[in-house]
Amino acid sequence: MIDSLYLAWRYIVFNRVKTITLVLCISLVSFLPFALKILLKESEQQLMSRATTTPLLVGAKGNALDLVMNSLYFSKEKPDFISMKAIEKIVDSYLALPIPLYTRFQAREYPIVGTSIDYFEFRQHSLAKGRTFAMLGECVIGADVATRLNLGVGDSILSSPENLFDLAGVYPLKMTITGVLNKTNSVDDKAVFVDLKTTWVIQGLGHGHQDVKTMSGPGAVLSRSEKLVTASAKIKQYAEINLDNLESFHFHGDSSIYPLTAIIAVPQDQKSATILRGRYLSEQKNQQIVRPKQVIEDLLSNIFQIKAFIDAVVLIVAIAMVLAIFLVFSLSFRLRQKEISTILHLGCSRFTVVQLIVAEILIIVLFSSALCYSALLVLQYFQGEIVHQLFIS
Amino acid sequence: MKRSNTYLARKAFLFSSLFLALSHVNAAEQSALDIYTVNYPLKFFAESIAGEHAKVTLPMPNDIDPAFWSPKAEDIAGLQQADMILLNGANYAKWLPKVSLPLFKLVNTSSEFRDAYIPLSEGVTHNHGAGGKHAHTGTAFTTWLDFSLAEKQAKAVFKALSRKNPKLNADFVQNFIPLQAALLAMDSELTEISAALQGQPLIGSHPVYQYLKNRYQLNLQSVHWEPEEAPSAEQWDGLKKILETHPAKWMVWEGQPVAETVAALEALGLKSIVFNPVANAPETGDFLTIMQENISALKAVSSTQ
Repeated sequence: MIDSLYLAWRYIVFNRVKTITLVLCISLVSFLPFALKILLKESEQQLMSRATTTPLLVGAKGNALDLVMNSLYFSKEKPDFISMKAIEKIVDSYLALPIPLYTRFQAREYPIVGTSIDYFEFRQHSLAKGRTFAMLGECVIGADVATRLNLGVGDSILSSPENLFDLAGVYPLKMTITGVLNKTNSVDDKAVFVDLKTTWVIQGLGHGHQDVKTMSGPGAVLSRSEKLVTASAKIKQYAEINLDNLESFHFHGDSSIYPLTAIIAVPQDQKSATILRGRYLSEQKNQQIVRPKQVIEDLLSNIFQIKAFIDAVVLIVAIAMVLAIFLVFSLSFRLRQKEISTILHLGCSRFTVVQLIVAEILIIVLFSSALCYSALLVLQYFQGEIVHQLFIS
Repeated sequence: MKRSNTYLARKAFLFSSLFLALSHVNAAEQSALDIYTVNYPLKFFAESIAGEHAKVTLPMPNDIDPAFWSPKAEDIAGLQQADMILLNGANYAKWLPKVSLPLFKLVNTSSEFRDAYIPLSEGVTHNHGAGGKHAHTGTAFTTWLDFSLAEKQAKAVFKALSRKNPKLNADFVQNFIPLQAALLAMDSELTEISAALQGQPLIGSHPVYQYLKNRYQLNLQSVHWEPEEAPSAEQWDGLKKILETHPAKWMVWEGQPVAETVAALEALGLKSIVFNPVANAPETGDFLTIMQENISALKAVSSTQ
């Protein structure tokens, strides 16, 4: 058998183009169904893990999937905004505890999640370093943000402008990092967490600036009376919140209409959840309450329907590929008739010829398996990132 | 099945930790609730109602106005760990929008009467940033000087405590009833005094008496003086200008004014009384005794009619 393997090996090395083509074809056909299975399993795991631990989500009426994907996975698709009144409504109901989410902004390529410190308790996140945000302008970063940007406690990170061409827009806010989360193996690793009010400062609803009562200079003050000073846009606004200027930060207007993207509602029990859902169904025209688990299950069922279709396509391709390979081998043997007859004339048995052919096929299959397995290992290593990019972002 | 069990276990753990205080079976029943308040009246209400079942903390030093406290991050750590944080509402505690507190634990004791908040017109308008033109105006916040509102705030504290620990409801009711009675009695007494005052003009030393004025229909105009500081010439001029159209004979102070100021006011025909809003913890006495002193001082004014 060793001799047969040696001869088969020499033949394969000599016909390397044909061999490589065969190995690639077999590898690809084997890789596809396994890869699909791995990715779907990972996507199911990623999607369901957060959906099952998030009992209810309140958001603007519209696409429930967008609401869930943005609130649970901070996807770039933004749902319509709701106001802080929605929080008051839940608080006043005593049926659930609300955790606000405002995921409109980004710092570098990472989402800024405006929330309350309850979020960490709710997700059972702990800090690897530092403390949670306590003051306006402070932030806590996920483990991957810390690693990839090489940031730690005491460093700062800038919010990214929403639109580079909006010259009259809000200045980026320089946020101080007060804590780094332990690795959670979720999208929270790739997020920057701030207090909800800090996101409103990023939006420009709150700001800090020099004291208008004492400021002077040409064009700085438009009018001044005993009770009213009208300042111009020339006023100096602060782009960083620190102990020196914290006092000057303030919010304008009615904070009850300030925006949110969603609210995680944590009901006291099943009965409270049912009552709360009923109230939204009957009373709320502009808001919806969804069960993320149900929304994700619906999404997964659609994905699995697509998977069944893809599986069928892959099966047909595989059959075609097997037939093609069979054709390649049979044509190859016809071309090798002289070679086979020489082997027989040399005194070898027909069994030896069969051994040679089997050895060639074995070597090709082994190489294909090794290549397929290696590709699957690479895929498994990057599966989290790939799934996040393909299905979540 | 394994996955389902894991999910249920995680869910159970999550809810048990989140509803530590709201749930019916928890450790809070054995240990005192850790309650923080933003001013002394709320601390007094919480201590009176919760009794031994709570440790109530007013986190700022005694010598500052709690509304204008500037906490540091380390001060906020205690608040973040509290079981309950009692807020006054009405934009009281100017530091609140600048700190991160757990929403789960915040109780706005004046949310029931938001419509009764008194807006302040004084402000600064400026035009910049995404918000466009806007004014720095606010809301009067010494709500508890209207004792009918103080009673509602005490009731809100009572309700919050009962929700937090329903098994202690009987104790809370027992403690709340006398507090409620005392507050309503003071409300009645002040209503009678206001009738006796017959619209007598008064000067407030500081713009903190809006709710007192509103509820008890006091004919009061305020200046912006500090009891421990001698007023400037500009402030005296401002007062004289007010007196031209508002011939007051009494000035109501937040705290005991310095003797020189009292003497100078008497030269203008103005006598001084103290109506202490007692926003921060007093050195002696408590909320009820100090308010009773305040009421007695106003009663003395009415008796001079």
